[in-house]
Amino acid sequence: MTALSPTPSKKYDLSFARWVYDNVDGGDRLALCMQCGTCSGSCPIGTQMDHGPRKLFMMIRAGMKEAVLTSNTLWNCVSCYNCVVRCPRKVPVAYILHDLATVAVREGYAEARNSDNARFAKAFWWSAAKYGRTDERLVTGKYYFSFGMAEGYKRGMANLPIALGMIKTKRMHLGMPHACKNTGELHKVLAKAAEIEARDHGKQG
Amino acid sequence: MTKTMSYYPGCSSQASAVHLDTSLRAVMGKLGVQLRDVEDWNCCGASVGHIEGGHLGQAALSGRNLANAQAAGGEDFVTPCAACYLNSHYTNEKIRENPTLKAQVNEALAEAGKSYDGGLHVRHACEVIVNDIGVDKVKEQVTNPLTGMKMAGWVGCQTVRPFANTERGGTWETYDDPSFLDDFIAACGAEAVPFKGKTKCCGGSVSVMSPDKTLHLMKDILDEVKASGAEAVVTPCPLCQTNLEMYQPQINKAFGTDFNYPVLFYSQVMAVAFGLEGKTDAALHQHLIPPEALLSKAK
Repeated sequence: MTALSPTPSKKYDLSFARWVYDNVDGGDRLALCMQCGTCSGSCPIGTQMDHGPRKLFMMIRAGMKEAVLTSNTLWNCVSCYNCVVRCPRKVPVAYILHDLATVAVREGYAEARNSDNARFAKAFWWSAAKYGRTDERLVTGKYYFSFGMAEGYKRGMANLPIALGMIKTKRMHLGMPHACKNTGELHKVLAKAAEIEARDHGKQG
Repeated sequence: MTKTMSYYPGCSSQASAVHLDTSLRAVMGKLGVQLRDVEDWNCCGASVGHIEGGHLGQAALSGRNLANAQAAGGEDFVTPCAACYLNSHYTNEKIRENPTLKAQVNEALAEAGKSYDGGLHVRHACEVIVNDIGVDKVKEQVTNPLTGMKMAGWVGCQTVRPFANTERGGTWETYDDPSFLDDFIAACGAEAVPFKGKTKCCGGSVSVMSPDKTLHLMKDILDEVKASGAEAVVTPCPLCQTNLEMYQPQINKAFGTDFNYPVLFYSQVMAVAFGLEGKTDAALHQHLIPPEALLSKAK
Protein backbone atom coordinates (compact mmCIF):
# COMPACT_ATOMS: atom_id res chain seq x y z
CA MET A 1 0.00 0.00 0.00
CA THR A 2 2.79 2.42 -0.75
CA ALA A 3 1.01 3.81 -3.82
CA LEU A 4 -0.72 7.09 -3.05
CA SER A 5 -4.45 7.01 -3.48
CA PRO A 6 -5.88 9.26 -6.21
CA THR A 7 -7.27 12.67 -5.26
CA PRO A 8 -10.69 13.27 -6.86
CA SER A 9 -10.82 16.36 -9.06
CA LYS A 10 -14.50 17.10 -8.53
CA LYS A 11 -17.38 16.22 -6.24
CA TYR A 12 -18.69 12.65 -6.60
CA ASP A 13 -15.61 11.68 -8.61
CA LEU A 14 -15.37 7.97 -7.78
CA SER A 15 -11.62 7.58 -8.30
CA PHE A 16 -10.82 7.56 -4.56
CA ALA A 17 -13.80 5.30 -3.79
CA ARG A 18 -12.65 2.82 -6.46
CA TRP A 19 -9.15 2.88 -5.04
CA VAL A 20 -10.57 2.09 -1.59
CA TYR A 21 -12.67 -0.77 -3.04
CA ASP A 22 -9.53 -2.32 -4.54
CA ASN A 23 -6.83 -1.53 -1.99
CA VAL A 24 -8.34 -1.41 1.48
CA ASP A 25 -8.96 -4.57 3.50
CA GLY A 26 -12.72 -5.22 3.27
CA GLY A 27 -13.12 -2.41 0.73
CA ASP A 28 -14.52 -4.83 -1.83
CA ARG A 29 -17.80 -4.86 0.16
CA LEU A 30 -17.93 -1.12 0.79
CA ALA A 31 -20.10 -0.41 -2.26
CA LEU A 32 -22.79 -2.58 -0.65
CA CYS A 33 -23.28 -0.06 2.18
CA MET A 34 -26.91 1.10 2.20
CA GLN A 35 -26.39 3.89 4.73
CA CYS A 36 -28.62 2.31 7.38
CA GLY A 37 -26.44 3.55 10.24
CA THR A 38 -26.39 0.29 12.20
CA CYS A 39 -22.61 0.70 12.46
CA SER A 40 -22.61 4.23 13.87
CA GLY A 41 -25.53 3.37 16.13
CA SER A 42 -23.73 0.29 17.49
CA CYS A 43 -20.47 2.12 18.10
CA PRO A 44 -19.73 2.58 21.84
CA ILE A 45 -17.77 5.72 21.07
CA GLY A 46 -19.74 6.93 18.03
CA THR A 47 -20.80 10.16 19.71
CA GLN A 48 -17.12 11.07 20.09
CA MET A 49 -16.39 10.62 16.39
CA ASP A 50 -16.51 13.57 14.00
CA HIS A 51 -18.41 11.55 11.39
CA GLY A 52 -18.90 7.93 12.40
CA PRO A 53 -18.54 5.06 9.92
CA ARG A 54 -21.87 5.50 8.08
CA LYS A 55 -21.16 9.08 7.11
CA LEU A 56 -17.50 8.37 6.44
CA PHE A 57 -18.45 5.70 3.90
CA MET A 58 -20.71 8.18 2.08
CA MET A 59 -17.86 10.70 2.12
CA ILE A 60 -15.64 8.14 0.42
CA ARG A 61 -18.20 7.84 -2.37
CA ALA A 62 -18.54 11.60 -2.50
CA GLY A 63 -14.84 11.84 -3.28
CA MET A 64 -13.96 13.65 -0.03
CA LYS A 65 -10.55 11.99 0.29
CA GLU A 66 -8.84 14.55 2.49
CA ALA A 67 -11.78 14.84 4.90
CA VAL A 68 -11.86 11.03 5.15
CA LEU A 69 -8.16 10.58 5.79
CA THR A 70 -8.02 13.38 8.38
CA SER A 71 -11.14 12.16 10.19
CA ASN A 72 -10.90 11.13 13.85
CA THR A 73 -13.39 8.34 13.06
CA LEU A 74 -10.36 6.29 11.98
CA TRP A 75 -8.62 6.86 15.31
CA ASN A 76 -11.39 6.61 17.84
CA CYS A 77 -12.37 3.05 16.86
CA VAL A 78 -12.11 0.87 19.98
CA SER A 79 -12.09 -2.38 17.93
CA CYS A 80 -15.20 -3.83 19.59
CA TYR A 81 -16.43 -5.29 16.25
CA ASN A 82 -20.09 -4.56 16.98
CA CYS A 83 -20.29 -2.91 13.56
CA VAL A 84 -18.74 -5.94 11.82
CA VAL A 85 -21.16 -8.49 13.26
CA ARG A 86 -24.25 -6.28 13.00
CA CYS A 87 -23.91 -4.85 9.49
CA PRO A 88 -26.88 -6.23 7.49
CA ARG A 89 -24.82 -6.01 4.28
CA LYS A 90 -21.79 -7.75 5.83
CA VAL A 91 -19.51 -4.77 5.29
CA PRO A 92 -16.47 -5.38 7.54
CA VAL A 93 -16.66 -1.85 8.96
CA ALA A 94 -13.92 -1.92 11.60
CA TYR A 95 -11.45 -3.57 9.21
CA ILE A 96 -12.05 -0.81 6.68
CA LEU A 97 -11.50 1.88 9.34
CA HIS A 98 -8.29 0.18 10.49
CA ASP A 99 -6.88 -0.05 6.99
CA LEU A 100 -7.88 3.53 6.17
CA ALA A 101 -5.94 4.56 9.28
CA THR A 102 -2.87 2.83 7.85
CA VAL A 103 -3.40 4.66 4.54
CA ALA A 104 -3.76 8.02 6.31
CA VAL A 105 -0.46 7.54 8.16
CA ARG A 106 1.38 6.39 5.03
CA GLU A 107 0.10 9.32 3.03
CA GLY A 108 1.50 11.62 5.72
CA TYR A 109 -1.59 13.45 6.97
CA ALA A 110 -0.61 15.38 10.12
CA GLU A 111 -3.98 14.66 11.78
CA ALA A 112 -3.24 10.97 11.34
CA ARG A 113 0.42 10.98 12.33
CA ASN A 114 -0.24 13.09 15.42
CA SER A 115 -3.19 11.02 16.59
CA ASP A 116 -2.86 9.14 19.88
CA ASN A 117 -3.47 5.89 18.06
CA ALA A 118 -0.70 6.40 15.45
CA ARG A 119 1.76 7.41 18.16
CA PHE A 120 0.83 4.37 20.22
CA ALA A 121 1.00 2.13 17.15
CA LYS A 122 4.53 3.35 16.43
CA ALA A 123 5.70 2.51 19.96
CA PHE A 124 3.86 -0.81 19.86
CA TRP A 125 5.29 -1.94 16.53
CA TRP A 126 8.78 -0.93 17.64
CA SER A 127 8.57 -3.38 20.55
CA ALA A 128 6.76 -6.16 18.65
CA ALA A 129 9.13 -6.05 15.67
CA LYS A 130 12.36 -5.54 17.62
CA TYR A 131 11.84 -8.01 20.45
CA GLY A 132 9.04 -10.15 19.03
CA ARG A 133 7.09 -9.33 22.19
CA THR A 134 5.15 -6.34 23.45
CA ASP A 135 6.82 -4.82 26.48
CA GLU A 136 3.96 -2.91 28.09
CA ARG A 137 6.35 -0.69 30.11
CA LEU A 138 8.46 0.42 27.18
CA VAL A 139 5.53 0.82 24.79
CA THR A 140 3.65 3.03 27.26
CA GLY A 141 6.77 5.04 28.11
CA LYS A 142 7.71 5.55 24.47
CA TYR A 143 4.13 6.57 23.70
CA TYR A 144 3.97 9.10 26.57
CA PHE A 145 7.24 10.73 25.56
CA SER A 146 6.19 10.95 21.89
CA PHE A 147 4.30 14.06 23.05
CA GLY A 148 7.57 15.65 24.28
CA MET A 149 9.45 15.61 27.57
CA ALA A 150 7.05 17.76 29.60
CA GLU A 151 3.88 15.96 28.47
CA GLY A 152 5.60 12.57 28.78
CA TYR A 153 6.54 13.33 32.36
CA LYS A 154 3.01 14.57 33.12
CA ARG A 155 1.39 11.43 31.71
CA GLY A 156 3.94 9.20 33.43
CA MET A 157 3.27 10.83 36.79
CA ALA A 158 -0.51 10.62 36.31
CA ASN A 159 -0.25 6.86 35.84
CA LEU A 160 2.51 6.23 38.37
CA PRO A 161 0.15 4.72 40.98
CA ILE A 162 -0.96 2.16 38.37
CA ALA A 163 2.62 1.34 37.37
CA LEU A 164 3.69 0.90 41.01
CA GLY A 165 0.68 -1.33 41.64
CA MET A 166 1.54 -3.45 38.62
CA ILE A 167 5.17 -3.81 39.77
CA LYS A 168 4.05 -4.73 43.29
CA THR A 169 1.70 -7.43 41.99
CA LYS A 170 4.39 -8.72 39.59
CA ARG A 171 2.44 -7.77 36.47
CA MET A 172 5.17 -5.40 35.36
CA HIS A 173 8.76 -6.55 35.57
CA LEU A 174 11.97 -4.63 36.02
CA GLY A 175 14.99 -5.38 33.87
CA MET A 176 15.46 -6.44 30.26
CA PRO A 177 12.45 -6.69 27.92
CA HIS A 178 10.95 -10.11 27.26
CA ALA A 179 12.00 -11.25 23.79
CA CYS A 180 11.80 -14.12 21.33
CA LYS A 181 14.83 -16.40 21.22
CA ASN A 182 15.23 -16.00 17.49
CA THR A 183 14.63 -12.31 16.90
CA GLY A 184 16.96 -12.38 13.88
CA GLU A 185 14.62 -14.78 12.13
CA LEU A 186 11.60 -12.60 12.92
CA HIS A 187 13.37 -9.49 11.61
CA LYS A 188 14.03 -11.28 8.29
CA VAL A 189 10.39 -12.37 7.97
CA LEU A 190 9.07 -8.87 8.72
CA ALA A 191 11.55 -7.19 6.35
CA LYS A 192 10.45 -9.54 3.60
CA ALA A 193 6.77 -8.88 4.39
CA ALA A 194 7.37 -5.11 4.03
CA GLU A 195 9.22 -5.71 0.75
CA ILE A 196 6.37 -7.85 -0.62
CA GLU A 197 3.73 -5.35 0.45
CA ALA A 198 5.58 -2.56 -1.40
CA ARG A 199 6.01 -4.77 -4.47
CA ASP A 200 2.50 -6.24 -4.66
CA HIS A 201 0.37 -3.28 -3.57
CA GLY A 202 -3.19 -3.59 -4.78
CA LYS A 203 -2.98 -7.37 -4.79
CA GLN A 204 -3.57 -8.11 -1.15
CA GLY A 205 -6.21 -10.05 0.65
CA MET B 1 -7.45 -39.17 28.17
CA THR B 2 -5.16 -36.17 28.17
CA LYS B 3 -5.28 -34.21 24.95
CA THR B 4 -2.33 -32.06 23.84
CA MET B 5 -2.93 -28.72 22.12
CA SER B 6 -0.61 -25.99 20.87
CA TYR B 7 -0.86 -23.03 23.21
CA TYR B 8 -0.17 -19.42 22.31
CA PRO B 9 -0.13 -17.45 25.58
CA GLY B 10 0.48 -13.98 24.05
CA CYS B 11 2.51 -11.07 25.39
CA SER B 12 0.16 -10.16 28.24
CA SER B 13 0.86 -13.61 29.74
CA GLN B 14 4.27 -12.29 30.75
CA ALA B 15 3.01 -9.00 32.13
CA SER B 16 -0.42 -7.52 32.88
CA ALA B 17 -2.31 -10.83 32.56
CA VAL B 18 0.21 -13.24 34.05
CA HIS B 19 -2.56 -14.33 36.46
CA LEU B 20 -4.67 -15.51 33.51
CA ASP B 21 -1.83 -17.64 32.17
CA THR B 22 -0.94 -19.14 35.56
CA SER B 23 -4.52 -20.03 36.46
CA LEU B 24 -5.46 -21.32 33.01
CA ARG B 25 -2.50 -23.70 32.91
CA ALA B 26 -3.48 -25.06 36.33
CA VAL B 27 -7.14 -25.44 35.38
CA MET B 28 -6.51 -27.02 31.98
CA GLY B 29 -4.26 -29.57 33.65
CA LYS B 30 -7.15 -30.61 35.90
CA LEU B 31 -9.50 -30.70 32.90
CA GLY B 32 -7.27 -33.07 30.96
CA VAL B 33 -5.83 -30.73 28.34
CA GLN B 34 -2.07 -30.52 28.05
CA LEU B 35 -1.02 -27.09 26.76
CA ARG B 36 2.17 -27.23 24.71
CA ASP B 37 3.64 -23.74 24.16
CA VAL B 38 4.12 -22.65 20.56
CA GLU B 39 7.86 -22.65 19.96
CA ASP B 40 9.38 -19.16 20.27
CA TRP B 41 6.01 -17.43 19.75
CA ASN B 42 5.88 -13.72 18.91
CA CYS B 43 3.42 -10.84 19.37
CA CYS B 44 0.25 -10.91 17.20
CA GLY B 45 0.28 -7.14 16.60
CA ALA B 46 -2.91 -6.63 18.66
CA SER B 47 -5.26 -3.83 17.58
CA VAL B 48 -2.61 -1.45 16.23
CA GLY B 49 0.17 -3.48 14.56
CA HIS B 50 -1.16 -2.88 11.05
CA ILE B 51 -0.74 0.89 11.32
CA GLU B 52 3.08 0.76 11.37
CA GLY B 53 3.70 -2.78 10.20
CA GLY B 54 1.12 -2.87 7.41
CA HIS B 55 -1.41 -5.45 6.52
CA LEU B 56 1.16 -8.05 5.54
CA GLY B 57 3.49 -7.32 8.47
CA GLN B 58 0.58 -8.02 10.79
CA ALA B 59 -0.28 -11.23 8.90
CA ALA B 60 3.37 -12.34 8.98
CA LEU B 61 3.43 -12.08 12.78
CA SER B 62 0.52 -14.51 13.11
CA GLY B 63 1.88 -16.55 10.20
CA ARG B 64 5.12 -17.30 12.04
CA ASN B 65 3.24 -18.46 15.15
CA LEU B 66 0.93 -20.67 13.11
CA ALA B 67 3.87 -22.13 11.17
CA ASN B 68 5.74 -22.95 14.38
CA ALA B 69 2.63 -24.57 15.85
CA GLN B 70 1.94 -26.61 12.74
CA ALA B 71 5.54 -27.85 12.68
CA ALA B 72 5.05 -29.22 16.20
CA GLY B 73 2.02 -31.27 15.12
CA GLY B 74 -1.64 -31.43 16.14
CA GLU B 75 -4.50 -29.46 14.70
CA ASP B 76 -5.49 -27.00 17.44
CA PHE B 77 -3.97 -23.59 18.13
CA VAL B 78 -5.37 -22.39 21.44
CA THR B 79 -5.05 -18.94 22.93
CA PRO B 80 -6.58 -17.35 26.05
CA CYS B 81 -6.21 -13.76 24.78
CA ALA B 82 -9.00 -11.97 22.93
CA ALA B 83 -6.67 -10.00 20.64
CA CYS B 84 -4.37 -12.96 19.96
CA TYR B 85 -7.47 -15.00 19.08
CA LEU B 86 -8.79 -12.30 16.79
CA ASN B 87 -5.54 -11.76 14.89
CA SER B 88 -4.51 -15.41 14.65
CA HIS B 89 -8.01 -16.42 13.55
CA TYR B 90 -8.22 -13.61 11.02
CA THR B 91 -4.88 -14.45 9.43
CA ASN B 92 -5.72 -18.15 9.43
CA GLU B 93 -9.04 -17.51 7.70
CA LYS B 94 -7.43 -15.21 5.14
CA ILE B 95 -4.73 -17.77 4.38
CA ARG B 96 -7.46 -20.37 3.75
CA GLU B 97 -9.61 -18.10 1.59
CA ASN B 98 -7.14 -15.93 -0.24
CA PRO B 99 -4.42 -17.59 -2.33
CA THR B 100 -2.64 -14.26 -2.86
CA LEU B 101 -2.26 -13.60 0.85
CA LYS B 102 -1.30 -17.22 1.44
CA ALA B 103 1.51 -16.92 -1.13
CA GLN B 104 2.66 -13.59 0.29
CA VAL B 105 2.77 -14.83 3.90
CA ASN B 106 4.61 -17.97 2.83
CA GLU B 107 7.11 -15.97 0.78
CA ALA B 108 7.91 -13.96 3.93
CA LEU B 109 8.05 -17.12 6.10
CA ALA B 110 10.43 -18.74 3.60
CA GLU B 111 13.06 -16.27 4.80
CA ALA B 112 13.05 -18.33 8.00
CA GLY B 113 12.71 -21.67 6.19
CA LYS B 114 9.11 -21.95 7.43
CA SER B 115 5.72 -22.42 5.80
CA TYR B 116 2.05 -22.59 6.79
CA ASP B 117 -0.88 -24.05 4.83
CA GLY B 118 -3.91 -22.83 6.82
CA GLY B 119 -4.57 -26.26 8.29
CA LEU B 120 -4.79 -25.39 11.99
CA HIS B 121 -7.95 -24.51 13.93
CA VAL B 122 -7.45 -21.27 15.84
CA ARG B 123 -9.44 -21.58 19.03
CA HIS B 124 -10.18 -19.57 22.13
CA ALA B 125 -9.46 -21.37 25.40
CA CYS B 126 -13.08 -20.78 26.51
CA GLU B 127 -14.36 -22.42 23.34
CA VAL B 128 -12.19 -25.46 24.04
CA ILE B 129 -13.69 -25.68 27.52
CA VAL B 130 -17.22 -25.41 26.08
CA ASN B 131 -16.86 -27.79 23.13
CA ASP B 132 -14.05 -30.25 23.91
CA ILE B 133 -14.16 -30.47 27.69
CA GLY B 134 -17.74 -29.54 28.51
CA VAL B 135 -19.13 -27.50 31.38
CA ASP B 136 -20.24 -30.74 33.10
CA LYS B 137 -16.61 -31.78 33.36
CA VAL B 138 -15.81 -28.40 34.93
CA LYS B 139 -18.56 -29.04 37.48
CA GLU B 140 -17.15 -32.47 38.29
CA GLN B 141 -13.84 -30.92 39.33
CA VAL B 142 -15.41 -28.52 41.83
CA THR B 143 -14.49 -29.38 45.41
CA ASN B 144 -14.85 -25.89 46.85
CA PRO B 145 -18.09 -24.47 45.45
CA LEU B 146 -18.34 -20.69 45.66
CA THR B 147 -21.80 -20.89 47.16
CA GLY B 148 -23.51 -17.59 47.84
CA MET B 149 -21.12 -15.49 45.77
CA LYS B 150 -22.68 -13.16 43.19
CA MET B 151 -20.59 -12.64 40.09
CA ALA B 152 -21.12 -10.58 36.94
CA GLY B 153 -19.89 -12.42 33.83
CA TRP B 154 -18.36 -9.79 31.56
CA VAL B 155 -17.43 -11.23 28.18
CA GLY B 156 -16.36 -7.98 26.49
CA CYS B 157 -15.77 -7.81 22.75
CA GLN B 158 -13.11 -9.72 20.86
CA THR B 159 -13.57 -13.04 22.63
CA VAL B 160 -16.87 -13.40 20.74
CA ARG B 161 -16.68 -10.72 18.05
CA PRO B 162 -16.31 -11.19 15.19
CA PHE B 163 -15.25 -14.84 15.23
CA ALA B 164 -17.34 -16.68 17.79
CA ASN B 165 -19.72 -18.06 15.21
CA THR B 166 -17.48 -18.62 12.24
CA GLU B 167 -15.24 -21.54 13.14
CA ARG B 168 -16.79 -24.99 13.38
CA GLY B 169 -20.19 -23.94 12.08
CA GLY B 170 -21.29 -21.67 14.88
CA THR B 171 -21.28 -24.25 17.61
CA TRP B 172 -20.31 -22.14 20.53
CA GLU B 173 -21.47 -18.63 21.12
CA THR B 174 -23.51 -15.67 19.97
CA TYR B 175 -22.28 -12.11 19.61
CA ASP B 176 -24.60 -10.15 21.85
CA ASP B 177 -25.81 -12.57 24.50
CA PRO B 178 -23.23 -15.29 25.06
CA SER B 179 -23.93 -17.70 27.90
CA PHE B 180 -20.65 -19.55 28.33
CA LEU B 181 -19.23 -17.32 31.04
CA ASP B 182 -22.41 -17.51 33.13
CA ASP B 183 -22.27 -21.30 32.70
CA PHE B 184 -18.67 -21.35 33.98
CA ILE B 185 -19.61 -19.22 37.00
CA ALA B 186 -22.63 -21.41 37.81
CA ALA B 187 -20.53 -24.58 37.41
CA CYS B 188 -18.20 -23.20 40.08
CA GLY B 189 -21.11 -22.89 42.49
CA ALA B 190 -21.44 -19.10 42.38
CA GLU B 191 -24.45 -17.16 41.19
CA ALA B 192 -24.11 -15.62 37.72
CA VAL B 193 -26.24 -12.53 38.17
CA PRO B 194 -28.17 -11.10 35.22
CA PHE B 195 -25.77 -8.45 33.93
CA LYS B 196 -26.59 -5.91 31.24
CA GLY B 197 -22.96 -5.01 30.61
CA LYS B 198 -22.12 -8.51 29.37
CA THR B 199 -20.70 -7.55 25.97
CA LYS B 200 -19.99 -3.87 26.55
CA CYS B 201 -16.63 -2.51 25.48
CA CYS B 202 -14.01 -1.17 27.92
CA GLY B 203 -12.33 0.87 25.19
CA GLY B 204 -9.61 -1.70 24.56
CA SER B 205 -6.27 -0.23 23.57
CA VAL B 206 -7.83 3.25 23.30
CA SER B 207 -8.27 3.07 27.08
CA VAL B 208 -4.55 2.43 27.41
CA MET B 209 -3.53 5.33 25.19
CA SER B 210 -6.32 7.87 25.80
CA PRO B 211 -8.31 6.99 28.94
CA ASP B 212 -9.91 10.44 28.90
CA LYS B 213 -11.91 9.27 25.86
CA THR B 214 -13.12 6.00 27.39
CA LEU B 215 -13.40 6.29 31.18
CA HIS B 216 -17.15 6.75 30.70
CA LEU B 217 -17.39 3.38 28.91
CA MET B 218 -15.85 1.61 31.90
CA LYS B 219 -17.99 3.66 34.27
CA ASP B 220 -21.10 2.43 32.40
CA ILE B 221 -19.94 -1.17 32.86
CA LEU B 222 -19.31 -0.63 36.57
CA ASP B 223 -22.75 0.99 36.93
CA GLU B 224 -24.24 -2.20 35.48
CA VAL B 225 -22.16 -4.30 37.90
CA LYS B 226 -23.56 -2.27 40.76
CA ALA B 227 -27.13 -2.57 39.44
CA SER B 228 -26.70 -6.35 39.11
CA GLY B 229 -25.80 -6.75 42.75
CA ALA B 230 -22.60 -8.63 41.94
CA GLU B 231 -19.68 -8.62 44.34
CA ALA B 232 -17.06 -9.26 41.67
CA VAL B 233 -16.62 -9.18 37.91
CA VAL B 234 -15.44 -12.21 35.94
CA THR B 235 -13.93 -11.88 32.46
CA PRO B 236 -12.02 -13.96 29.89
CA CYS B 237 -10.13 -10.99 28.37
CA PRO B 238 -6.66 -9.84 29.51
CA LEU B 239 -7.15 -6.22 28.50
CA CYS B 240 -10.69 -6.04 29.93
CA GLN B 241 -9.35 -7.28 33.26
CA THR B 242 -6.50 -4.79 33.36
CA ASN B 243 -8.53 -1.79 32.17
CA LEU B 244 -11.52 -2.31 34.44
CA GLU B 245 -9.32 -2.96 37.45
CA MET B 246 -6.63 -0.32 37.07
CA TYR B 247 -8.91 2.56 36.15
CA GLN B 248 -11.38 2.24 39.04
CA PRO B 249 -9.56 4.89 41.14
CA GLN B 250 -9.50 7.33 38.17
CA ILE B 251 -13.18 6.62 37.45
CA ASN B 252 -14.08 7.27 41.08
CA LYS B 253 -12.19 10.55 40.95
CA ALA B 254 -13.77 11.64 37.66
CA PHE B 255 -17.35 10.65 38.42
CA GLY B 256 -17.54 10.79 42.22
CA THR B 257 -18.28 7.07 42.48
CA ASP B 258 -16.91 4.55 44.98
CA PHE B 259 -16.29 1.44 42.89
CA ASN B 260 -13.92 -1.15 44.29
CA TYR B 261 -14.85 -4.36 42.49
CA PRO B 262 -12.36 -7.20 42.13
CA VAL B 263 -12.09 -8.25 38.46
CA LEU B 264 -11.24 -11.94 38.13
CA PHE B 265 -10.47 -14.26 35.25
CA TYR B 266 -12.83 -17.23 34.82
CA SER B 267 -9.77 -19.45 35.17
CA GLN B 268 -9.03 -18.03 38.61
CA VAL B 269 -12.62 -18.66 39.68
CA MET B 270 -12.28 -22.26 38.44
CA ALA B 271 -8.92 -22.70 40.17
CA VAL B 272 -10.43 -21.61 43.50
CA ALA B 273 -13.51 -23.80 42.99
CA PHE B 274 -11.28 -26.77 42.07
CA GLY B 275 -9.56 -26.32 45.44
CA LEU B 276 -6.24 -25.46 43.84
CA GLU B 277 -3.65 -23.36 45.62
CA GLY B 278 -4.64 -19.66 45.89
CA LYS B 279 -1.25 -18.22 45.06
CA THR B 280 0.65 -20.58 42.77
CA ASP B 281 -2.41 -21.86 40.88
CA ALA B 282 -5.10 -19.16 41.10
CA ALA B 283 -2.64 -16.22 41.28
CA LEU B 284 -5.08 -14.33 43.48
CA HIS B 285 -2.27 -12.19 44.91
CA GLN B 286 -1.75 -10.45 41.57
CA HIS B 287 -4.69 -8.06 41.71
CA LEU B 288 -4.68 -4.32 42.25
CA ILE B 289 -8.07 -4.79 43.94
CA PRO B 290 -7.50 -7.93 46.06
CA PRO B 291 -10.21 -10.61 45.78
CA GLU B 292 -9.01 -12.96 48.54
CA ALA B 293 -11.22 -11.66 51.35
CA LEU B 294 -14.30 -11.86 49.15
CA LEU B 295 -13.52 -15.37 47.91
CA SER B 296 -12.79 -16.69 51.39
CA LYS B 297 -16.22 -15.49 52.45
CA ALA B 298 -17.76 -18.00 50.05
CA LYS B 299 -15.96 -20.97 51.56
